[in-house]
Amino acid sequence: MEWRSHLLIVPILLPLLTGALLLLFDERRHVLKATLSFVATVILLVVGLVLMRFADSGEPDAARTGVYLLGNWSAPFGIVLVLDRLSALMLVLTGTLALASLTFSLARWDRIGPHYHTLFQFLLMGLNGAFLTGDLFNLFVFFEVLLAASYGLVLHGTGIQRVRAGLHYIAINLAASLLFLVGVSLIYGVTGTLNMADLAVRIPAVTPGDQPLLLAGAAVLGVAFLVKAGIYPLGFWLPTAYTAAAAPVAGIFAILSKVGIYILFRLSLLLFGVDAGASAGFGEFWLFGAGIATVAFASAGVLASQGMARLAGFYVLVSSGTLLSAIGLSTVEVTSGALYYMVSSTMALSAFFLLVELLDRAQDPAADVLAVTMEAYGDDPDMEDVVEDAGLLIPGTIAILGLCFVACAILLAGLPPLSGFIGKFAMLDAIIGSNKPTLDISMFGWLFTAALIGSGLAAMVAMVRAGIRTFWAPIEGTIPRIKLVEIMPVAGLLLLCAAMTIGGGPVLRYMDATARAMHAPHVYVEEVLSASPVPPPATTEGSQP
Amino acid sequence: MNSETMLMMLIALPFAGACLAALFPPNARNAETWAAALVTLGAVVLSASLFPAVATGTPVRLNIEWLPTLGLSFSLRMDGFAWLFSMLVTCIGFLVVIYSRYYMSPDDAIPRFYAFFLAFMGAMLGIILSGNLILLVVFWELTSIISFMLIGYWYQKADARDGARMSLTITGVGGLGLLAGVLLIGHIVGSYDLDAVLDSGDLIRSHPLYVPAICLVLLGAFTKSAQFPFHFWLPNAMAAPTPVSAFLHSATMVKAGVFLMARLWPVLGGTYEWFWLTGFAGAASLLLGAYFAIFQRDIKGLLAYSTISHLGLITLLLSLGSPLGAVAAIFHMMNHATFKASLFMAAGIIDHESGTRDMQKLGGLFKLMPYTATLAMVASAAMAGVPLLNGFLSKEMFFAEAIETHADSILDTAAPYVAVIASAFAVTYSIRFIHAVFFGERPADLPREPHEPPFLMRLPIQLLVLACLVIGIIPAITVGSFLHIAVVSVLGADTPAYSLAVWHGLTVPLGMSVIALIGGALLYVLLRHYLAHCEEGPPYFRRLKGQRIFERVLVFVSWRFARLVEATLGTRRMQQQLRLLVAVSLVAAAIPFYNSNFGLGLFELGQIDIPFALLWVIGIACAVGAAHQAKFHRLVALILLGGAGVVTCITFVWLSAPDLAVTQLLVEIVTAVLILLGLRWLPKRWEDTELGRAPISTKLRRGRDLLVAAVAGLGMTLLSYAVMTRPSPDTISGFFLRKAYEEGGGRNVVNVILVDFRGFDTFGEITVLGIVALTVFALFRRFRPAPDTIESPEQQRIQAATDEERSDRITGQTVSDYLLVPSVIMQWLFPVIIVFAAYLFLRGHDLPGGGFAAGVAMSAAFILQYLAAGTVWVEDRLRILPVNWIGLGLLIAGCVGIGSWVFGYPFLTSYSQYIDLPVIGEIPAATAILFDLGVFSLVVGATVLMLIVFAHQSIRRLRAAKISTTTIEEVA
Repeated sequence: MEWRSHLLIVPILLPLLTGALLLLFDERRHVLKATLSFVATVILLVVGLVLMRFADSGEPDAARTGVYLLGNWSAPFGIVLVLDRLSALMLVLTGTLALASLTFSLARWDRIGPHYHTLFQFLLMGLNGAFLTGDLFNLFVFFEVLLAASYGLVLHGTGIQRVRAGLHYIAINLAASLLFLVGVSLIYGVTGTLNMADLAVRIPAVTPGDQPLLLAGAAVLGVAFLVKAGIYPLGFWLPTAYTAAAAPVAGIFAILSKVGIYILFRLSLLLFGVDAGASAGFGEFWLFGAGIATVAFASAGVLASQGMARLAGFYVLVSSGTLLSAIGLSTVEVTSGALYYMVSSTMALSAFFLLVELLDRAQDPAADVLAVTMEAYGDDPDMEDVVEDAGLLIPGTIAILGLCFVACAILLAGLPPLSGFIGKFAMLDAIIGSNKPTLDISMFGWLFTAALIGSGLAAMVAMVRAGIRTFWAPIEGTIPRIKLVEIMPVAGLLLLCAAMTIGGGPVLRYMDATARAMHAPHVYVEEVLSASPVPPPATTEGSQP
Repeated sequence: MNSETMLMMLIALPFAGACLAALFPPNARNAETWAAALVTLGAVVLSASLFPAVATGTPVRLNIEWLPTLGLSFSLRMDGFAWLFSMLVTCIGFLVVIYSRYYMSPDDAIPRFYAFFLAFMGAMLGIILSGNLILLVVFWELTSIISFMLIGYWYQKADARDGARMSLTITGVGGLGLLAGVLLIGHIVGSYDLDAVLDSGDLIRSHPLYVPAICLVLLGAFTKSAQFPFHFWLPNAMAAPTPVSAFLHSATMVKAGVFLMARLWPVLGGTYEWFWLTGFAGAASLLLGAYFAIFQRDIKGLLAYSTISHLGLITLLLSLGSPLGAVAAIFHMMNHATFKASLFMAAGIIDHESGTRDMQKLGGLFKLMPYTATLAMVASAAMAGVPLLNGFLSKEMFFAEAIETHADSILDTAAPYVAVIASAFAVTYSIRFIHAVFFGERPADLPREPHEPPFLMRLPIQLLVLACLVIGIIPAITVGSFLHIAVVSVLGADTPAYSLAVWHGLTVPLGMSVIALIGGALLYVLLRHYLAHCEEGPPYFRRLKGQRIFERVLVFVSWRFARLVEATLGTRRMQQQLRLLVAVSLVAAAIPFYNSNFGLGLFELGQIDIPFALLWVIGIACAVGAAHQAKFHRLVALILLGGAGVVTCITFVWLSAPDLAVTQLLVEIVTAVLILLGLRWLPKRWEDTELGRAPISTKLRRGRDLLVAAVAGLGMTLLSYAVMTRPSPDTISGFFLRKAYEEGGGRNVVNVILVDFRGFDTFGEITVLGIVALTVFALFRRFRPAPDTIESPEQQRIQAATDEERSDRITGQTVSDYLLVPSVIMQWLFPVIIVFAAYLFLRGHDLPGGGFAAGVAMSAAFILQYLAAGTVWVEDRLRILPVNWIGLGLLIAGCVGIGSWVFGYPFLTSYSQYIDLPVIGEIPAATAILFDLGVFSLVVGATVLMLIVFAHQSIRRLRAAKISTTTIEEVA
């Protein structure tokens, strides 16, 4: 087995080992810890990019799938990791957000509580594992890993607000995990397998008598994912939790809600896609309806939000709802646009979550002091006091912040010329655009169009209001002290969004190829089930290695 | 340089200039102006030099692939119409840049101004030159966004903020409408390419989606061009600096709407629906705008309403569906831009020099600034449509069109009257502007002493006014050819014969002009005294303020209503959220059964194993009891939970799963102890003593919750029953049973699954355990107990009180002597349990046990030490670094997994063999056992970490109390 083929598991192992290694060092050596964590995250992003190149290296229309058999057991008996364009995309997105959030946290947040870097790395491990695994129960395990780490991170920095929201978050997600288990057991009970590809083979063969049980299992499983995605009416916890979380944590959490979306995308097309026989298209109607309801409710929430962090929290729901209804529409073109939208909106949200903290600093300098006095009340003699080395007063700080805010507003509202618009346009074009002039536009198409345009409008009105209040209304604006490592990640993410706009052609080509592969799952299934283990060396006698 | 490159440069130059302008230092006003002037002049030259290419009749095209899959390319296209407009935009832009140098104060943030100004010019050129409708929408929205920045340039002023927000909201909505409309056009035509769309007029007009498409496109155009009923943002946008108003609100941005209507007129126009929509909006804007303009006190307000009126005129012309009307519309777009830009600049000079724009305060300025006054008078005359000026020509064409009958309807019949009345109004407000500002008494109390502005500030006006005159007197020679290529490029083969002569003889339109001029002048004479003292706004309509209505609606929809929706349809309470979660999953699981003839296998009483059933009755009772007591009697609930756990353990034994039983038992013990330790720190809860006292609503809520819980539980039971009683499918477990020994090297299948077949799952799960321990640790580091838990527990206090009462005892003695004998035994058990754990660990591969069970057993040893001797004693003697154990455990497990890479196998491939050791005998030596060592280390580390955290709390409590009192003292 070539060394390069092990690269597929690196996105899981690297953060795990880094996180474990960091545990061996004392909190006082935070420079070392931060350096290790940062380097590991950079490598992670690079590995993600290499894997993405691999996944995209095949024929433009054919899916290229990398399969990694853990423990050298072939599917469906052992656990497999599967890399295709979709998972590679998610890996790169995770790496990007991770790098941005981690860089941001180096300014201050990583020293506010213990084991920040370890928890952060474990979160990355859970995310990457969830994106790579091809096994339903292993997915549960990685969900638990990422949730456990997110429990730790959402409480990072403590404070009443955070602990309260964090405990709500934990309670709801534990309940959802329980549903996850119930769903997996039901599906296993009916089909007798946990491997996703194997499931795709067995589901069409399920007898009509067993079908309701299978679908009930799938429905319960779906509810668990929908809770993570924050669908209406199961997503009320999300804005509160994301608002309360520390800025860099919220920055990486922007992708957390997309894990549920990713799984729903993958499973609904793999298990209940075109080849699923009697169960084909299961849940599409409900996903669509609930997605639209989510967009409607969350748009109202965006408008009703006073603070910008809460606005962003509700926008996470808007983005989820849009994507869920796109899953419900289930056509190749819509999927392609939705993937683009997902990447763009996730990066924009992450940037906005980070930016909000910087802007709040301008609003209320006391808040910063408060965070520091919180330190003083703690009783950790071994914890180094956070030195408030006032960041540089960069000339034009306000101008840069303002520019970043405008970019975020344009992205969230889906206005031209940034990638938020391209994403929306790609989805709209798939429904009513120039691609299929002969086709009638369905009622669903109209609803979806209205939801997309309406939610963009709501975001625009709310962002304009927030922007005016922050930048224009204060009579004596205080210029916030901001470090370079804090503004760089924000600017970087926004520049990436800009790059996604200019280089929209290649990006959309990738998304198209991804969407086509997702809608033709038999390639994935064949690749996974045909992957053969490394044969035991012939000379060894007795037990096999 | 070929024409394609020039086209690209024309659009790139302003944007590049904007970036450059933003980088200038704030006080470099002159350098900044020079740079901006050079950029705009460059744009003028580029536009002008494109004329030969455009004049050939074929548009200049540039196509750069952008998003080929979506049919969106960056394609630019310049035909005669676009050329004329780009000349207009660049020339006026250049003049306004020069004007701004003198208008803007040195205190203003000049880089921001010029950066946005130039960017706006680029966006506007983008609209004009777009060869793809989606690209047009992109630039369209860009102008909305940049104009927001420009209107709000003086953001310290509330009216600037409000005006900016209103214009962005309205034009933004319009832009979204336009996007939808363009998508529909794309749907109909099959392409967004402008050429393709322009070729498909019949297809579009006959399509069932034609009406929605034009409604949406016109929504965009009307909002942008401030047409009734979306007109009210324009007067509010006058809070912008005057150069911005001169550029955006006369020549460019507001023209984008009519530009688009003219651009798409050949394909969308000429139908009944089009006529009604545009005709009504145009006529209403024309008339109301002119009427409102008369009654403004603010000069810029007057000009703004006049702009609405003139744009209404253009819209009305485009509604008619006659080629001559389109010619007049295009001509009037040019003429209006020239005279209105110069008037805005003149208004800016007046404001700049005298400090006010209120016409009731101004007067007699003619003597102080005769040049400016003369220029303003000529420009106003053009606005009023006085002969020999350019405004007259296009107005004559309009009159001529208005009297023609195009579509037989009331609107068409009314057109000539509307035209004459509106023109009369235009004469009235033009006279009012000139008379009120430049003539009459010179007021004493002006904020500043007015005088002539610098030459360069006046120069732009002079040039524009010269253009008005020259075009007005010799139109055919000056602009005839330019206008002609523009008209031909829009109308193509339909281009009618038209004449640009000043004198057409004694025609009906001339008569109408005369009536309008005389009528308007008379009206001013009548209204003069009223206007000198009236309030702002026209009579009767004064109260009906579009702005107020808009603000109210916006606040209602975007704030009150939204909050109401969030509050009524959402919740922040956790209980409700969990209830919803249960209900939704219940429904989700039930739906697949609905309408399916799914039948459960019958339940036969004879099959029941009585003792087992009784066991389960106990278990169920414990579980229900735990739920019942959970709120007010946590300890009871915990004990009952333990009961349910024990029943689960016995069930595993009963059903021959000793592995699970061992693990379950150990986990039950350790978790119960940990929760017990945690209970101490939970705030107290007091039961509402008798249930009868609880209010009805609470009772109802509890009843409903009980119902939901019961139904969900029942549903879960039925599901489990259904799954467990159905014939077992061909599962993968058969494979595990077959391969566990021969390939996994272990007889204990469960353990082989855990560490080999699905070792990766175990790997993940131990990580979860580690993370949870770290989270608990992190949370408790900052834990401050609730006030009512800071005191010592009641039991301890009672014991201490007894000590104090009795003279032979020292206080605290009873507590320290607690469980003296058992504690000695417990301390001695420590090594015994360690040996037991090692035993469990080693035999794990073949018999029940394994790293996890061993780890939990090991932590039980530590728990016993804490129970026996107390936290202080243990912490003094025990040096265990649980965090390191966690880290090492993960590293060991990870490295064992990676080890197989060396041999060319994937992660976690195991290798097994038996080794014969002296004394101990044959022991299994699978690599999996090393992996299990990692598991063991982590489990010990995690459980002990949590234990220490909980136990340590009792020591920290005292310190925490001390610290908080000292800080309070310090503050005091």
